[in-house]
Amino acid sequence: MNISRRFFMKTSAVAVGGAVTAKAGTAKAESRNRAPADPFGCLVDLTQCVGCRKCEQACNEVNHLPEPKVAFDDTRVLDCKRRPDQNAFTVINRYYPGKKDEQNRLVPTYAKIQCMHCQDPACVSACIVGALTKQENGAVIYDKSKCIGCRYCMVACPFGIPAYEYDQPFTPEVRKCTYCFERISEEGGKPGCASVCPVEAITFGKRDTVLALAKGKIKKDPGRYINKVYGEEEVGGTSWMYISEHPFEKLGFLSLPKKPLPTLPETIQHTIFKFLWAPVTLFAALAGGMWVFNRKQMTGEDISEERGADNE
Amino acid sequence: MRTLFKPLLIISASLILIAGGLFFINYDAGSTLSQAFAAAPEKAPTKVPTPPKPPEKVNPDGTPWSPAAQVAAMERAKEVPPFIKNVKDETAWERKQRLGDDAPTLKDQDHAYVVLNSPIVNKDQDMYEPVRFMHKKHAAVTGDCLKCHHASADEPGAAETAKCSACHQEAFNPEFPERPGLKAAYHRQCMTCHEEQEKGPLGCTDCHGKNVPDHSKLVKLPKNPSPTQVTTECLRCHEDQGEDMLKSAHWLWKGPSPYTVDGEKRVDSGKATNTINNFCIALPSNWPRCTSCHAGYGWKDETFDFTDKSRIDCLICHDTTDTYAKVPTDAGMPYPQLDLVKIAEHVGKPSRKTCGDCHFQGGGGDAVKHGDMNAILYYPTRSCDVHMGDLDFQCHDCHKTRNHKISGRSLSLPVAEGARSCEDCHTSQPHHGNDLLDHHLNRHGEHIACMTCHSPVYAKCKPTKTWWDWSEAGDKKRKVNKDKYGMPDYFWKKGEFLWDESVQPTYAWYNGTVERYLIGDEIDDDGVTEITRPVGGIKDSKSRIAPFKIMAGKQPVDKNNKTLLTPNLFGPKGYWKNVDWDQAFKVGAEAAGIEYSGEYDWEETKMYWSLNHEVTPKEMALSCVQCHESLTQERSCDRCHQDKRDVDFKALSYKGVDFKTMAARGRDTLDLVEKTDYINFKALGYKGDPIIYGGRFKQLPLGWHKDGKEEK
Ligand code: SF4
Ligand code: SF4
Ligand code: SF4
Repeated sequence: MNISRRFFMKTSAVAVGGAVTAKAGTAKAESRNRAPADPFGCLVDLTQCVGCRKCEQACNEVNHLPEPKVAFDDTRVLDCKRRPDQNAFTVINRYYPGKKDEQNRLVPTYAKIQCMHCQDPACVSACIVGALTKQENGAVIYDKSKCIGCRYCMVACPFGIPAYEYDQPFTPEVRKCTYCFERISEEGGKPGCASVCPVEAITFGKRDTVLALAKGKIKKDPGRYINKVYGEEEVGGTSWMYISEHPFEKLGFLSLPKKPLPTLPETIQHTIFKFLWAPVTLFAALAGGMWVFNRKQMTGEDISEERGADNE
Repeated sequence: MRTLFKPLLIISASLILIAGGLFFINYDAGSTLSQAFAAAPEKAPTKVPTPPKPPEKVNPDGTPWSPAAQVAAMERAKEVPPFIKNVKDETAWERKQRLGDDAPTLKDQDHAYVVLNSPIVNKDQDMYEPVRFMHKKHAAVTGDCLKCHHASADEPGAAETAKCSACHQEAFNPEFPERPGLKAAYHRQCMTCHEEQEKGPLGCTDCHGKNVPDHSKLVKLPKNPSPTQVTTECLRCHEDQGEDMLKSAHWLWKGPSPYTVDGEKRVDSGKATNTINNFCIALPSNWPRCTSCHAGYGWKDETFDFTDKSRIDCLICHDTTDTYAKVPTDAGMPYPQLDLVKIAEHVGKPSRKTCGDCHFQGGGGDAVKHGDMNAILYYPTRSCDVHMGDLDFQCHDCHKTRNHKISGRSLSLPVAEGARSCEDCHTSQPHHGNDLLDHHLNRHGEHIACMTCHSPVYAKCKPTKTWWDWSEAGDKKRKVNKDKYGMPDYFWKKGEFLWDESVQPTYAWYNGTVERYLIGDEIDDDGVTEITRPVGGIKDSKSRIAPFKIMAGKQPVDKNNKTLLTPNLFGPKGYWKNVDWDQAFKVGAEAAGIEYSGEYDWEETKMYWSLNHEVTPKEMALSCVQCHESLTQERSCDRCHQDKRDVDFKALSYKGVDFKTMAARGRDTLDLVEKTDYINFKALGYKGDPIIYGGRFKQLPLGWHKDGKEEK
């Protein structure tokens, strides 16, 4: 909570300032520490996934998402590439990376997409009101009561994950995989998708454990896997990681830098301002207003706590 | 911003609610009105009959029915063995070296049949039904226990193989992150192998059916709904299934006839259009009576709307309360006193009860039509049917269903929506005990259908009708006698009957295709018209000797047109009301679209009925000597095998069904005791017992071409 509130201060201040670059250095330096010490992780073994879409179904059920137009046991949807959206936090896509079987048929590889729960999430950096926060257990979760609907997170996320409920006229929210935050916060709890997977293509555990598992698998069976754990280092590391038989570029994964993506000030300057400077200024002003308004409602203790944190 | 939104939100939300409410009221009124209209012609008949009682779940001796093997396997499935932490770190090769001849074999396994239903797997989700797993079969097919039991416990004195669930338990155990949980272990093991072999089931529901969710909270019905109202409610969620149903054989009573000679490309054959039989003869003009077995409501004449989904009868197949039933004479309408809400709230998978209510009762009563199906199969003993009685198979366990198309084929009807055979599960090498006999038996499989040996008698537990003479009908004063089974020999509406129980089948070569008499065809001029006849012969390499029930009788024929007639039996103009054949033929012919010249006669007809149910336990299959008389003279294997074998030849060749014991238990099998010519080889085209005179074993495929020509 502390992180988020402190971060809220920062983000708001910066947002109001707009292009005040002088502050950029401090914000950038501090946001590096967002990665929790011992988070959960998920390892997706793409050589195991059979494309059954059970994970999509489980995700739909545990998150009480609307019933899909096409039933989950209909695998024809795999004929097109899909993206997660506000009604489906995870989707499976099918790729044909070129391998053929004895009958000369192309062998498919299935790739599950959902929020990666980055160790140092760009979406969290981008959120000027702290509606998105990185939790101790690794989940990047969303607080709808804070969200002002600016959709910076959507622009900032390198994986294009957050989705906006454009179809909700009155109370639209940003929607994305929650890492089943409530479930995994319980003792022995597992994400819905991981627990349903019939072949355990998804292994859930502490990030260190599943990362070691990934490396162990690669070492033990170098013929089966390429020597890479996707997500180990990408954008500073992610909670969801993948191992595969085929190069990740062939499976729709982006090649991303190892460093966390530009934090907030750069995000605003480089990514958004280029083409959205006018609304940004407007939203920044609004956000500033919100902040002042919210601040008034805070107790004295809150404020001093925040100041203290700020002074560190 | 948010504060501004709130009042707006409330106002608009309430507007929506009000509008929605109005719509709902309107909608309700509309739908009840239309349903009231729809229900009008479905009025119950004036004499309200009472629905039949559900079958009792008891054995013949009164003890509660319980499928022993299934119950035991389900019990075993609950066990969670102690977790094995340490496994030996060795490769498959190293392990083979270590074990040498001590490697476990087929004989070491405890259970041939296993149910996979571990509480470990079901803890997180329980989406699927238990899996029936043929453990012994898999051991035999892979030929190597260690292929699946790929590691062993590193503990002194531990067994070489352990249950899957001893090493694989809960998923994501942080101590053993590399070890998949039980569910993944099963799936990976099964699917990888089935994929590699391109054999065996692969889709989810090929191994385990889906659990049906509790519908009691989902179904929203008013009190005392009409049947079509129930269907409309089902369709609210199951629209697609409704569409599928409209295309199914159970709805249309016609469909593709891929196994009918000259009908391979037709899609319109079936009861609804052109088939005829020698029981109640034909459907046209008798709709309201016959369609009491139709999965629909109100097919009372040729105007029935086959595109109206609301007329589908979902409950006849999906009732699990065992109470749903249709009035026998009301075009498929259910008994009006049934609690349809309760039934709809308890829908589920079909069962022997739901399928059997029609399929056991064909021809106007229990066991009349099919020689291998009757009400005993609701809850049969093991010896009546080993799959249903011992393993609690439901019909759909074999008759796999996709999109409401139910696989399976028969001789009696042309429609087939997919075939099923014993080999689908038991493979073409079904005898896998790996001892002397199994090799011989597996070779038989190329020439003899499984049921030939594994169902030595049909109508095993209840007499079936074998003769029906319509020409004698109409004598209301004739005295009705009971035969030795207590079955009537006459009924004025129908004529003369013969019944038979525990009957030795008729054997014929059968390659899976059927010659069929269809309405309007000319009759055979040799005196007996075969309405259905299996195609095949000794020289046809695709044919096997298969068992059949023969149904024979006399039925009306047009004297001048030489076609079988389709009498109107039921209804105001029907024979059963007026006892007037001439009128019955006229009305019936018009409905069926055939000519009636005004003169009729009686013609003997014959139908072959395939026998696929009532599979006996293996120890009750035919023995070698029951067919091969020549073997009764042998003392050892040395007629064919020159080396001396230390085998109790007598015990081996005599092992099989014991008709004496069956007779002692009340079955009519005394005539079959000590029979050694069970199959009449001469009638099948052999010179005599193939062991003496030679048969197809030696000639096929070496001496025989596929096109049936003999090699010089
Ligand atoms: S994947 Fe995108 S939405 Fe998810 S944590 Fe990373 S930046 Fe945020
Ligand atoms: S972790 Fe939870 S929310 Fe995320 S994809 Fe899996 S089931 Fe859905
Ligand atoms: S449930 Fe598992 S196997 Fe199925 S699609 Fe999802 S990740 Fe792949």
